[in-house]
Amino acid sequence: MGDKEDYNWHYLTQLKMRIHAHQKVCECLLREGTLSLAQVIRFTQLSKQNVTNALLVLVQHNCVQAFTIQLPGGFEEEPKIMTQYMALHTNIIHHMRFPKFLAIVSKEFGEECKEIFEGLLQHGRLSFNQIMDRHKDKHKADITNGENSTAANVLHENFNKLAQAHYIERCPAHEPFLEPPEQGAKKRTSKSKIADAPPTLEARALAAATPMESLRFLVDVDTLSNGALEDDSKNSPATDIVGEKRKHDCLEPETDIWATNKNKEILWRVNFEEFVRRLRQKFCVSHVTTSLDRGAGIVLNAIYEASRKEETKVKMETTVPLTMDTILEETMKSEEGRSLKLDGVKASLVQLGCEVSAIDFDSDTHSIDLKKIIDQAQSQEVESIVLKKYGREAYRIFRALLKHETLYETDKISIDTFVEKKDVLKILLQLLKDDFVQMERLGNEAQKMDILLWKIHKRSLWAQVLDDMYHAALNLKLRLVHELEQAKDILKGKAVGAEVVQKRKRVGEKWKVLESSLMVLDDAIMLFHDF
Amino acid sequence: MSLLNKRKKPESKTTSGLLDSDKKVLNVIKSKKESAIWLRDLKRDSDLADPIVTKSLKNLITAGLIKEVKHVQFKGRKHYIAAEFEPSQEITGGSWYVDGNLDTAFIEQLKETCLKVIRKLKVATAEGVYDFFKTNRLTNTECTSQQISEILRSMVLDNMIIDVKSTGLAEYHKIPVGQECYRCIAGDKAPITGAMVSIPCGVCPRIRQCTPDGLISPSTCVYFNKWLEF
Ligand code: SF4
Repeated sequence: MGDKEDYNWHYLTQLKMRIHAHQKVCECLLREGTLSLAQVIRFTQLSKQNVTNALLVLVQHNCVQAFTIQLPGGFEEEPKIMTQYMALHTNIIHHMRFPKFLAIVSKEFGEECKEIFEGLLQHGRLSFNQIMDRHKDKHKADITNGENSTAANVLHENFNKLAQAHYIERCPAHEPFLEPPEQGAKKRTSKSKIADAPPTLEARALAAATPMESLRFLVDVDTLSNGALEDDSKNSPATDIVGEKRKHDCLEPETDIWATNKNKEILWRVNFEEFVRRLRQKFCVSHVTTSLDRGAGIVLNAIYEASRKEETKVKMETTVPLTMDTILEETMKSEEGRSLKLDGVKASLVQLGCEVSAIDFDSDTHSIDLKKIIDQAQSQEVESIVLKKYGREAYRIFRALLKHETLYETDKISIDTFVEKKDVLKILLQLLKDDFVQMERLGNEAQKMDILLWKIHKRSLWAQVLDDMYHAALNLKLRLVHELEQAKDILKGKAVGAEVVQKRKRVGEKWKVLESSLMVLDDAIMLFHDF
Repeated sequence: MSLLNKRKKPESKTTSGLLDSDKKVLNVIKSKKESAIWLRDLKRDSDLADPIVTKSLKNLITAGLIKEVKHVQFKGRKHYIAAEFEPSQEITGGSWYVDGNLDTAFIEQLKETCLKVIRKLKVATAEGVYDFFKTNRLTNTECTSQQISEILRSMVLDNMIIDVKSTGLAEYHKIPVGQECYRCIAGDKAPITGAMVSIPCGVCPRIRQCTPDGLISPSTCVYFNKWLEF
């Protein structure tokens, strides 16, 4: 377990160097977990100013979330309000996915939206006015005064498009206040006590910070004018009151650092969640296209399009139920969809696991098992590792075990997989050594020897594979740094000549291979971690 | 010993010319019936000196009273069985084994043919594939419908074909709804390769020992050197 955390952490630390903000503070929060300002100062041994600045940048780039809690007071002592900082692991990893996000926006909405979006990626958080300023700055040369207002309108329109698509969102509250847990626990009914374990402090903080759904993507008309809405941290009654209270009497100096909010403008940022959702959808479509056929991909894509606004979370287990009419209508919107016709759509739905009867009633709805698609893709990734590492027979054995689910006897495996008994045992022991399978012994008096039973612990194996992926990603990254380091002189030097050009070209090629492998590997990491 | 008594009669003719030691060895072997006996167990059970057992075995084989069989799991161990018994499945390994070896050539050939049949039929049950075999006389060797079923299941494990439940619609219309049947992988593409297998670390036997600053590390890694050699 320790190892697992380690690689994830190493990897994150490497990545965060990309946003080159105060490595030490980020590293410290990733390693130690949620901390107060004083604790960060103690652990990092940096000055208060440095830590405060670093936190500011990390919050600005959505890598850290702050929240306040109330510490119980002692004898004759008032309870104390304290600000805590937590690292947002997933968001930090998302930084390496920016090219993927950018490609989605660019493809869907074109260059102008891409420009707005790029600004948000670069700066983490911006108000609409800041975006406008950036735009003006960039296009100073080609805009005359008369065109200024039209340009602003177009910009607003594009901004709106991004918000409507949920690609950008209002920033979460800077420092939501979390009620002391005891109080919360008391309020619970006896019924809810039996329910799941209470959410962690971090999960509560994230929930409290997120703007209400109705506000989250709302581009107010005020955004256009300079007088923006009020403080965006006022997003729920609870934080509202706390926000006020905080402002008046219990402000610690550290809460003043949020200079970005001094104009009281609503800040916007990229909504990573929506991109994970889109990437998951794209992944599922391309997976069924390769594993089933083109028609299945077209139909699944149409189902996604028709239910885009209705999906509530990223890890949807099934698609939103839709009637045949709706699916058909959406499919027919695209050229290649029209080529399928009604029968083709029906056949694809069947392939995707829906039960389609010959006569379809208006009330019949269909939804597709997405979890199954994801499961299948994950299994395929692991199976391909087994195939390459241990060969075709091991692959067959491994797939048999995955299918079997319960304990499986060596002899039975041999029979079902057409692998000689002694070879089966050899392969299984090898897989056991590398933790791909588990073994149990069953004493057998009659044969005076133990019967060996085998199975796959999917959950722990998948976690191990994901950990290896992080490790591999870290290695790719380190190798990339190493290659650049090696080639420093060649890249920097002014020397020309066929040999140097050739060398530079080779470094470029190596870099390309490493970078693109990292992107492909990241798709797989998302498959195991985010989908 | 009761077994011995029971069997005495039919044997009397053929065992007439045998030595006492031969008879003793024969009886031990016969007592094991279709399970056969390992030479070492035979020596122990017959309680005779090694050279005598060896000699008796020779005599008995020449007389056609016993035969040597290959044990599928212990190929190096000599096993003997009385002539009137056929070795059990545990010894032969079942119908896919010939002389204690898995008949891989036959299996591969059968798989290939099954694949062709399924490609032709698009979708078929195990019974359907078997019928096709029978009516078209596809193999020289006899094979049962049970064998075809086993082959098809292993082909699913090979990811050569997939198993699906019939929907009764379109190409499934001849197959009752819900019945298990087989079809080819989409477009007969080459198996999809994963992300991990396309980089050295993904299948590296050393990954557990590899650390950023260790003896084995990405910057000194030979697998990487080789991979980036172009
Ligand atoms: S860097 Fe080299 S040694 Fe380390 S895991 Fe990758 S391939 Fe293996």
